[in-house]
Amino acid sequence: MSGALHAPFCADQAVQVKTEVREIEQVARGTYRIRFAAPEIAERIFPGQFVMLRMAGTSDPLIGRALAMYDVIEDAAGRPEAIDVIFIKKGKFTTAVAEAGRGAALDVWGPLGNGFSIAAAETLLIAVGGVGQTPMLALAAEALGRRSFGRPSGYAQRVTMVYGARSGDLLACTAAFRAAGIDLRLCTDDGSAGERARVPELVERLIEALPPPAGDSVSGSAQGSTAVRIVSCGPEIMMEKVAAVAADRSIPCEVSLETPMACGIGICFSCVARVRQDDGEWDYKRTCVEGPVFDAARIVW
Amino acid sequence: MPDLSVHLGRLTLANPILVASGTFGYAREMERIVDCSRLGGILPKTITAEPRTGNAPWRTVETAAGLLNSIGLDNDGVDAFLENHLPYLAGIGTAIVVSIAGKTRDEFVRMAAQVAGEPGVAALELNLSCPNVSGGVDYATSPEACREVVAGVRAVSDVPVLAKLTPNVTRIVDIAAAAAEGGADAVCLVNTLLGMAIDWRARRPLLGNVMGGLSGPAIKPVALRCVHQVRQAVDVPIVGIGGIQSIDDVMEFLVAGASAVQIGTANYYDPTISTRMIDALPAALAELGAESVSEIVGTLQTSPPPQPASAFPTPDR
Repeated sequence: MSGALHAPFCADQAVQVKTEVREIEQVARGTYRIRFAAPEIAERIFPGQFVMLRMAGTSDPLIGRALAMYDVIEDAAGRPEAIDVIFIKKGKFTTAVAEAGRGAALDVWGPLGNGFSIAAAETLLIAVGGVGQTPMLALAAEALGRRSFGRPSGYAQRVTMVYGARSGDLLACTAAFRAAGIDLRLCTDDGSAGERARVPELVERLIEALPPPAGDSVSGSAQGSTAVRIVSCGPEIMMEKVAAVAADRSIPCEVSLETPMACGIGICFSCVARVRQDDGEWDYKRTCVEGPVFDAARIVW
Repeated sequence: MPDLSVHLGRLTLANPILVASGTFGYAREMERIVDCSRLGGILPKTITAEPRTGNAPWRTVETAAGLLNSIGLDNDGVDAFLENHLPYLAGIGTAIVVSIAGKTRDEFVRMAAQVAGEPGVAALELNLSCPNVSGGVDYATSPEACREVVAGVRAVSDVPVLAKLTPNVTRIVDIAAAAAEGGADAVCLVNTLLGMAIDWRARRPLLGNVMGGLSGPAIKPVALRCVHQVRQAVDVPIVGIGGIQSIDDVMEFLVAGASAVQIGTANYYDPTISTRMIDALPAALAELGAESVSEIVGTLQTSPPPQPASAFPTPDR
């Protein structure tokens, strides 16, 4: 991964602020988008990064929750002001926030993690399952040059997103994805929306249908423009299969891991994943500071 | 401005707020969030003689007002620590208390000899009580073993030595007394309580290592009790640890008999809490009419008050 974008294994931009839920909207079955003002975080966060959220003033739930940035909202003067995140109501924290609704007091710290790397590609192919869609609106908007998050934008000519869920009522924010210029391909396990298919097989079919690459640009190297790059976020088994599809064809692929975190800032060593080292051996790496986005080829699934 | 400085045997600290090992990384992770130079001291994550991969996930599980962990002393070993982390830590400008864990008494002594001479090491904390390392003897469950390790380390180390003890014993007073006999400058009370969490539907433990150490507000009453008992029975400075998340918690530990405290799990869920406690300390001391931290340490009155304020005093609820 590019050194310049790689956080030096610490939360080098993070600040902690107190805020409250300004807006809450149900975006799919059991799935909510909340908005909270946090200008100091909003002005620095970029796609693939996350924040830690906690209900202020309670010991139950005690620990913060890591949630990816879905969108950054600007104020009337065009300054980044608020952040949107999306979660499924399941468990202590998400249930408490969804039920408290507007005005719920939050402790927030971020931005955290190293986010998606910037690498030019003709097609950025996004493969997501369930709530793993969250970071992709901002990523697509940045890749297509429609939004800038304080770093280069406009590095993909087109963005195609395969978005799968168990059933259609779990698919969220599809109108927003289309409005951002994404070529959206939906699939569900039960066929209730989009194709009745799994994400990895749809990804494989899409790749097969792509025009053959010019020259030898598909070399697995992230240097220079590539015909296609894949980014993936969602259930681990889905990401593993997407990564295998990419590896078979030497397509660069990044995955955003969702290991349970306790701090989000690199101090607890909970959120480890097995990551292959330069010497070929694996070691546990902290997903919060060394990820959550990793080169898929380095993950030992 | 009151005098915030405290003494732990030969170790003098600018203030009594330290951050506990394993809950603050190697401090570099926190440099943009916390002004680490203001802390009374920093305990970097425990180091071992050899690198350790650590335990399989899940490594932490939230419980009611608490956190279970079984990280397994994931670290790159003492040599990597001295090369990669100590130079940064030594430059922060606060006391660096290096936490070490050995598998044997000799390993503790060898590590202590190696680390104690390095510039920037203010003191050593002996992690005698990590519940997550299988195969090793728990040096804080046997008074004799505890005394021997502490004495062995004292013999090779010029810097102050702190002994971190486990609450998972029948009589912590005996262990603390043994640590003091061995020459510990202070005892740190307490490490985590051994616990577990279960998914009954899957009939599986939630932690990869089955059992782990419980920390957070849930254990604060146990830690306070241990501080109180040791204060009553043993003449050794105490560092209180266990569920401290507010200035009120800090004051409770000081009054109970701790000369200093370590903030642990709260760093995870409120990363800036440690320096905010330092900000709040002078006002809390003023409430007691105190001009120094040291004058309130161990001032708990356990005899009945001469006259209750009310026939049915109600605690805050």
